[in-house]
Amino acid sequence: MKIVVAYKWTSDPEEATVGSDGHVDWSRARPGISTYDPVAIELARRLATENGAELIGVTVGGKGVGVPLATKAVLARGLDRVVVVEDDSLTHAGQAELAAAVAAAVRHIGDVDLVITGDSSVDVAAKMVPTVLAGELGWPALAEVTDVGGQPGALRVGRAVPGGAQVLEVSGPAVLAASADATTPHVPGMKDLLAAGKKPVEHVDLASLEVAPRRAVMTLTGRARPARKVRKQQILDTSDPAAAAAELVKALRAVGAL
Amino acid sequence: MDFELSDEQELVRSTVREFAEAELAPVAGEVDHDHRFPEEVVPKMAGMNLMGMPYPEEYGGAATDYLSYMIALEEVSRGCATTATIMTAHTTLGTFPIYKFGSDALKHKYMYDMASGRRLGAFALTEPGAGTDAAAGSCTAILKGDHYVLNGSKIFITNAPYAEIYIVFAKTDPDADGTHGMSAFVVERGTAGFSVGEREHKMGIRGSSTPPLYFTNCSVPAENLIGHEGMGFKIAMSTLDGGRIGIGAQALGIAQSALDAAVAYAKERVQFGKPIAANQAIQWMLADMSTEIDAARLLVYRAASNMDHGRPYSTEGAMAKLFASETASRVAGKAIQIHGGYGYTESYPVERHYRDAKITEIYEGTSEVQRMVIARAALR
Amino acid sequence: MSVNAWIVVGDQPSISNLITVARSLGPEGGTVAAVVAGPRAVAETVAASGVDRVVWCGAGAPEGSPAEASAAAVADVIAADPPLAALSGRNPGDRVLLGAAAAKLGAVVLTGARSVSASGGTTKVLNAVYGDISEETVEVSGPVALLLDGGSVPAASGDAVPVEEVTGTPYGLKVIETVMSEFEQVDLNAAMRVVGVGRGLRAQEDLALIETLAGALKAEIACSRPVAEGLNWMGKDRYIGSSGARISPQLYLAIGISGQLQHMVGVVGAETIVAINSDPNAAVFSQSDYGLVGDLYELVGEITNALQ
Repeated sequence: MKIVVAYKWTSDPEEATVGSDGHVDWSRARPGISTYDPVAIELARRLATENGAELIGVTVGGKGVGVPLATKAVLARGLDRVVVVEDDSLTHAGQAELAAAVAAAVRHIGDVDLVITGDSSVDVAAKMVPTVLAGELGWPALAEVTDVGGQPGALRVGRAVPGGAQVLEVSGPAVLAASADATTPHVPGMKDLLAAGKKPVEHVDLASLEVAPRRAVMTLTGRARPARKVRKQQILDTSDPAAAAAELVKALRAVGAL
Repeated sequence: MDFELSDEQELVRSTVREFAEAELAPVAGEVDHDHRFPEEVVPKMAGMNLMGMPYPEEYGGAATDYLSYMIALEEVSRGCATTATIMTAHTTLGTFPIYKFGSDALKHKYMYDMASGRRLGAFALTEPGAGTDAAAGSCTAILKGDHYVLNGSKIFITNAPYAEIYIVFAKTDPDADGTHGMSAFVVERGTAGFSVGEREHKMGIRGSSTPPLYFTNCSVPAENLIGHEGMGFKIAMSTLDGGRIGIGAQALGIAQSALDAAVAYAKERVQFGKPIAANQAIQWMLADMSTEIDAARLLVYRAASNMDHGRPYSTEGAMAKLFASETASRVAGKAIQIHGGYGYTESYPVERHYRDAKITEIYEGTSEVQRMVIARAALR
Repeated sequence: MSVNAWIVVGDQPSISNLITVARSLGPEGGTVAAVVAGPRAVAETVAASGVDRVVWCGAGAPEGSPAEASAAAVADVIAADPPLAALSGRNPGDRVLLGAAAAKLGAVVLTGARSVSASGGTTKVLNAVYGDISEETVEVSGPVALLLDGGSVPAASGDAVPVEEVTGTPYGLKVIETVMSEFEQVDLNAAMRVVGVGRGLRAQEDLALIETLAGALKAEIACSRPVAEGLNWMGKDRYIGSSGARISPQLYLAIGISGQLQHMVGVVGAETIVAINSDPNAAVFSQSDYGLVGDLYELVGEITNALQ
């Protein structure tokens, strides 16, 4: 039984700097596991343990996503092994391209029963890679997943819907995108960190995978920093809270915000 | 000379930092304010294998190198200095004597529980009349058949009464001088004749529990003697040799926390129309603070690395502890200065860092003792 | 008629914005079509909304199937008449359907489109990226899949078009349990004034204080991610942020919110932003028009009084 967790090794845009021409400088941002991917890994680990399944991590991206620090960091969270597809051409790949590469990696692994991913990545937050991935694999997908139980092929999946929650039975392989609040991931212990270095890492050449090509071609023709409203940044004197409140209300009335 | 940390060491730092930011930093203020021993934190640390890091896996430890242990201690301290004291007093002071000098029977009885963090340890050397002059202790341990009878008192014993296992130093040969007449014993909490007094109210690391211990005809099985009679002083000094690097790491964490707070404040505090970070006086203070912390870090890591590679670490450890502890006090003081009046209030953490830093210049060998060690090496 | 744009619809027919965007792709003679995977009633609403063609894929799905079960059928319908663009709203079910279509079409996926236009078979998109810190202008030749704010349920306009039925092979998904949330649903986009709450609020009971303020302001209540997800004090539809709601009210009050990028990106469009935080270092102050440094437990009450 094989369960794949697709994760992203990337940086938080909070740490990036944007030039006035819109160019994003990531050089000062420290890469790490995308913020909510550990939630997906945790759900997958529990399911794999319950079923005695092999838990395999998959990641695709530009050069750097498969450095030892990255693979050890993710293996420490409970994966049995990791498959990495690192290629310069994937550095600025869009969601559909990344999904196609992940799908090819899943096919390369073979006999995969289930793919679990995070719902959205910290840098792009597009929420589309899992759904396009499912399309590429020809499998059903469910998003906002909060809970997974049962066996791959006969799963019970809990998920959030607008206004509530549902439990579904899922037969056959599927892609499940875990909601960021599905569970609290455990922090790896020191023994987990040391054991990580001993687990297998497989680097697969993008060229050797059969990745479904895009029929569309996208060209970047311009870039800009979004025009942001210039904020007043006026700090009111709060030494007398009542006076501060009155001053605020007066100011808001004056600008027509009330 | 490679100044880079290994991947594992980097991961130790980022993982323990994650833990410290989530579990330690949020309660550090309250732990300090209420002088509260953070009992709930100890099992969490044990769950992360943080309570016996350098010990072999067969004994329940994580078998990390000593440098990784120092990095973990630094990150724990950055979150909460009290927790770092608990961690180092247990892992080094409380466990090392048994690991290095104990009989197989003693190791078999205690090592797993201690390295896994299931039972907390403590180190009882200091007495009212014996601080820096550790050999001047007057606790006695008289052999009576198959057990020793302990009498005397100890003071400032970290982790008591939460610890279950105590390394107690007492004179088995009251006529010999302390360096030859002292022995070390493992005494369990609850042994008849062993009681714990009132906790001290301290200036800093207020959540750390440091009461006196009283031994009144306390009977300890003979097999609980660590090593041989007369080895006590050597065991104590050997343990403190490594322990002092840990205090350097603790001081680093406190200093870093103070610097981070000062940088954040300087960027946001606006006076005369601009952030105070734009002022050269502030910039120079921050420059000095950063440089000193970096220098201290290199000293601490070098001493730990020496230990890992079988190189001498006694003088290097003394330098690391001396410089890191004095740096922590200086940096914390400057951090308060940068905060101005606000830094003097409990609303900001820097006054706690200032109070926490001071102990690192004192315990596990005062700065004066460290200077003696370094001078001796210099004058050889 | 070649299809210019396919609108992908799951369970909810909130597609007014999608229709507007699809129409703007022109030219005259190009069709705006919709494919619906949810219940037939949704297909009928869509059929009366002004689109040129409606295909319903839900016919073959057994009782209790979610919309996602018809994803392959949706993809097949679209692939049979490949468009310039496929569009959907941001609901989880819609995203799954759009993803299936995008894979089948070999399309490029864009999720931050600020404006879209088309000419001569090329689609031009102004796309916000990386939590909206930058905007890229891109040209796509070939199919593009756009994830957009769906808008509201369109009013019936003119004659309804017939609903074509397609039976595909549904996936093995079956809903066996549904629990409705104890939280009342809200449409933050419709609110003129919004009060956002963050981790500065210490306990759930303290929401009463915020509710009183919101009442005096005639504002809706929203929150940052930890409050909706970690603490579960409010429904997730009240969460504002990069993977939550993006709103442009006249007034946004950020209370006990630190000002992290992932939250603030949800309110950059607000006319006026006010922040209340006890930490003078909080990032939120540099992103606000008015800032009050202090204890929210004191200031919120005072502001409520000043309003009455």
